[in-house]
Amino acid sequence: MKKLSKKTLNKSFRNWYYGHLTCFSQEHMQTFGYLCSMLPIVEELYETKEEQKEALETYSAFFNTEPQLGTVIVGITAGLEEARANGENVDSETINGLRAGLMGPVAGIGDSLVVGVLIPLLLGIGLGLSTDGSPLGAIFYIFAWNIVVTLGMRMLYFKGYEFGGKAVEFLTGEKSMALRESVMMLGSMVIGAVAATWVNVTTVFQMVNPETGEAYLKLNDQINSVLPKGLTAVFVILCWYLISKKKMSPLKVMLLLVVIAFVGVLVGFFDPQLTY
Amino acid sequence: MEISIIQAGLLGLFACLASMPGMGGSAIGNYTLGRPLVGGLVCGLILGDVRTGILVGSAMQLLYIALVTPGGTVSADVRAVSYIGIPLAMLALKSYGLDAASADGIGLATSFGAMVGTLGTVLFYGTATMNLIWQHIGWEAVEKGEFKKLYIVDMVLPWISHIVCSFIPTFIICLMGAGMVDTIKNVLPMDGLAMKTIFTVGSLLPCVGIAILLKQIITKATDFVPFFFGFALAASLGINLVVATIIAAMFALMNYQIKTLSLNKSTVSAADTDDEEEDI
Repeated sequence: MKKLSKKTLNKSFRNWYYGHLTCFSQEHMQTFGYLCSMLPIVEELYETKEEQKEALETYSAFFNTEPQLGTVIVGITAGLEEARANGENVDSETINGLRAGLMGPVAGIGDSLVVGVLIPLLLGIGLGLSTDGSPLGAIFYIFAWNIVVTLGMRMLYFKGYEFGGKAVEFLTGEKSMALRESVMMLGSMVIGAVAATWVNVTTVFQMVNPETGEAYLKLNDQINSVLPKGLTAVFVILCWYLISKKKMSPLKVMLLLVVIAFVGVLVGFFDPQLTY
Repeated sequence: MEISIIQAGLLGLFACLASMPGMGGSAIGNYTLGRPLVGGLVCGLILGDVRTGILVGSAMQLLYIALVTPGGTVSADVRAVSYIGIPLAMLALKSYGLDAASADGIGLATSFGAMVGTLGTVLFYGTATMNLIWQHIGWEAVEKGEFKKLYIVDMVLPWISHIVCSFIPTFIICLMGAGMVDTIKNVLPMDGLAMKTIFTVGSLLPCVGIAILLKQIITKATDFVPFFFGFALAASLGINLVVATIIAAMFALMNYQIKTLSLNKSTVSAADTDDEEEDI
């Protein structure tokens, strides 16, 4: 029976606490932070390089959430990974289905509670203390926020770890196939909602009547009347098709998107319409 | 009042730590050092005028009090607000002879905050785009089994992105003073081809991340139905992520119960055949 040592769990927590956003990109957001926090765990649980690699590959899928509250997800997968190393029947799809299902709501709750309430609340107190230009408010915020968030994240990680261990019973019993399928279903629905919420691809393409100067066809509105945010869906499906069906590497797909963006801007299809 | 090379260098270093995605980690970096209130204290200490720093920082903090960056979409960049905007506003206040606590002073500080905030989004996209290179090195390392390299990829190599996209811009702009901001706006106009392409790529790239996740979850064509169900909930009905998850959970629960029901049925029928065999 393998059991993760306290030292390893602490290391995994520290890696997440510090590294979840350091190597952020638009394509993989928090994936590398996740990999770094799972690495100590995977190294302790598995002997051979092959096993370690197989376990790590589970966590190479896209991940993004509100990182403070999201610590609980890392904790849960630490517990699940321990169970998997002990021969429990937890597979990569289940873990990723869970991660996908959790990251949406955790981001929603975290963005509104941590970033939307806790931080403005502490900053509001700090601003009140600093109205005359005294550094007191800033110092108050530095201590209050860091103490609350560090203790909170620690607690979430270890609670998540305990929960992950317990959740295994549900995930691996004889009803596991039914549960797995349901978790995956939940995951795909949440990913659909995530795509529609976080990704926003629009076009400014329009046909203008040369006599009146009025636009008689606004492509974006036409697409949205068929399926709201339809263009976003088209690009997600296109990327999925190229990666899954055409076996293109994500890097090539990205380069293709850069070309599409450049040409699109050139012909007036894309325009972010930003000003300083 | 002028900013010395050492002071500009220190401001540049703090910009690296404080940005999103910064090298200070999000708790200590973005959410502590990046907040204009704290940035005001840091800039005040570096430039030797804590009172003005705090007052300018407070004015900008009010502007960005609830700056949420959902899904990594950034409307204003804190490294630029706190470590370019505050020093420049402090410089401007000094040169106009305004007091930071006066209404005019606060107005000036606020407009500087808004201006450099949007300018800074370019720095955000620059950093995130450059990190793609390190991530590419990371995938190769995993492929070869050199797992320790992941730490370098996640925590060391992004420093290069920050030297290019946080340190150098902050250093130069702070050293050159307020005129520099206008120069940049003229050289890189938002309606120019370069800026438009950068922001369009920024809006397209998350599709790749979602697609990679879909590859893991979707195995057959019917799996797209729940995906589009979730998509429609958010896009057509405007339902937020938490509520969308609750609705999705209800469907998942029903699916689970139907599946377990059929599971029980088959075990019951299996038990029946056992009985028959015994009879024979």
